[in-house]
Amino acid sequence: MTKLLRPFRWVLLLFLLLFSCLWCLNTGAVALDWQLLWPCLFDQCHASAQHQILLELRLPRLLLGLVAGAGLALSGALLQNLSRNMLADPYLFGIISGAGLGATLATLLLPQYAIALPLAAFAGALLAMVLVLGFAALGGWQRLDTVILAGVAVSFLLSAVTSLLLYQSEAFAANRVMFWLMGSLARADYQALAVITPCLLLCFALGCLYRRQLDALQWSDQTAYSLGVAVLPVRLLFLLLTAALTACIVAYCGGIGFVGLMIPHLVRLLFGGQTLVLLCGSMLCGSMFLIWVDAGARTLLPEQELPLGVITAGIGSLFFLLLLSRKGQRQL
Amino acid sequence: MTLYVSDRLGIIGPNGAGKSTLLKLLAGLLRPASGEILLCGKPLPHFALSEKARILALLAQDTEQATASTVFELVELGLLPHKQLWQRTDQDDKLRISQVLTQVGLADKATASVSSLSGGELQRAQFARVLLQGARLLLLDEPTNHLDVQYQHQLLQNIVSTDLSLIASFHDLNLAASYCNQLLLLQHGKVVAAGSPEQVLQPKLISEVFGRRCLVDLNPFDGKPRVTFAPGACND
Repeated sequence: MTKLLRPFRWVLLLFLLLFSCLWCLNTGAVALDWQLLWPCLFDQCHASAQHQILLELRLPRLLLGLVAGAGLALSGALLQNLSRNMLADPYLFGIISGAGLGATLATLLLPQYAIALPLAAFAGALLAMVLVLGFAALGGWQRLDTVILAGVAVSFLLSAVTSLLLYQSEAFAANRVMFWLMGSLARADYQALAVITPCLLLCFALGCLYRRQLDALQWSDQTAYSLGVAVLPVRLLFLLLTAALTACIVAYCGGIGFVGLMIPHLVRLLFGGQTLVLLCGSMLCGSMFLIWVDAGARTLLPEQELPLGVITAGIGSLFFLLLLSRKGQRQL
Repeated sequence: MTLYVSDRLGIIGPNGAGKSTLLKLLAGLLRPASGEILLCGKPLPHFALSEKARILALLAQDTEQATASTVFELVELGLLPHKQLWQRTDQDDKLRISQVLTQVGLADKATASVSSLSGGELQRAQFARVLLQGARLLLLDEPTNHLDVQYQHQLLQNIVSTDLSLIASFHDLNLAASYCNQLLLLQHGKVVAAGSPEQVLQPKLISEVFGRRCLVDLNPFDGKPRVTFAPGACND
């Protein structure tokens, strides 16, 4: 970022986010009247169809996109700082595989109850988290690598069980689970917001309070301990918080990969690596990114919605390849 | 053994002697199987972590660097034991950070990324962090590793010029003799000798512990004992 823009970067980011919100509210299969947008938001709208589309479809979807994007990016930033591993992301604990298993069981056993899918996905995500943290606790918490490796192992284990169940099931159930796993904001409602938002705010507030401790952990456990940081309790607290936040998001939105991995990298490049800046920047950029991806998913193909995970993974992998090539050029 | 204010203790010994383990015990990272470590007359486990951090600082060899941080942000970490969770870095703190950066000669590097620093500059930035921490006792594990001769002396001179107490492990016996007023010679986890450099650096003792013939004379620059080992494959 140029030195000229540096003092205004937060104002610019907030302005861009506001503009993105308005733009995404107005984007979709039905074009809305810009002039009626504001009155409709405040229940002074005379066009009932526009009012309904806005308040019952687009607004909850936009708000879910904002909190889910912010939550995934915040979790990624926290985990990367905690683990000193730039490849850490919110799916570190096998959460997506756990949620996938839960969703599969709900689809196969309780297809008549719509609420069963997010509940079972949440339970599956929690199961994965408990398994990973349990294995890490058995290893004595001495090495954070144990958590990451346990996450990979649990992820494979739960994915294998899911694949076996889907293999034995009918094609319709397999399709439903597969589409859900690829991520979507179509299930957006105010109930989802009521679950995810408090979890997100708690994570952010504690991240801000413990910003210095998290900064110290970026160096080494010994340095952090020498500075008076209770390394193990702080790490455990944030592992649990980020896992719970991700589990809530996955339960309602499915698996949206790469946001938690890519956005903190981008923020570190643009704003620096200090925890407070990283958390604020990741939340704002994560929100903005996900609502644009959702707008793209709704409009790229006529009368068809693309899964979010497909777009985020596509953009994310291109971003990393670009980053790698730039780093390679610098080293040459 | 007891260490007094402004004492500088060098821990020496061959690989596997227990130098790093002793430093970890002193920092509270490990618990002793027997015996007790007292800090200012109080058992080490009785200290709250932040209270201990205001007295004792460990300057670890951080192989992983928080590369996105600036030098200012690294030094700012020294405020951690003095601040409550909700307290911000105020103007007085910023002034103190500038002062310690000037003290270690990095005033012009405050906004530089730590990834752009040389090994010596990074060591000095870490030292500035320790100065801001306000600890009176400094623990260093092989502080001169990866530093060239100039930076080795610069770092140790920086420490000696303050009134900090120091406990550091060394591979270089001559650096330990030049900058420490007490030495502790370890072998296989046991103390072989303790005392002034003149008492510890005895040719027979050093030859036995390191398995290599040596000569001990006086360093012409500071008059401290200087050890020269015989070259060759074995102790003959």
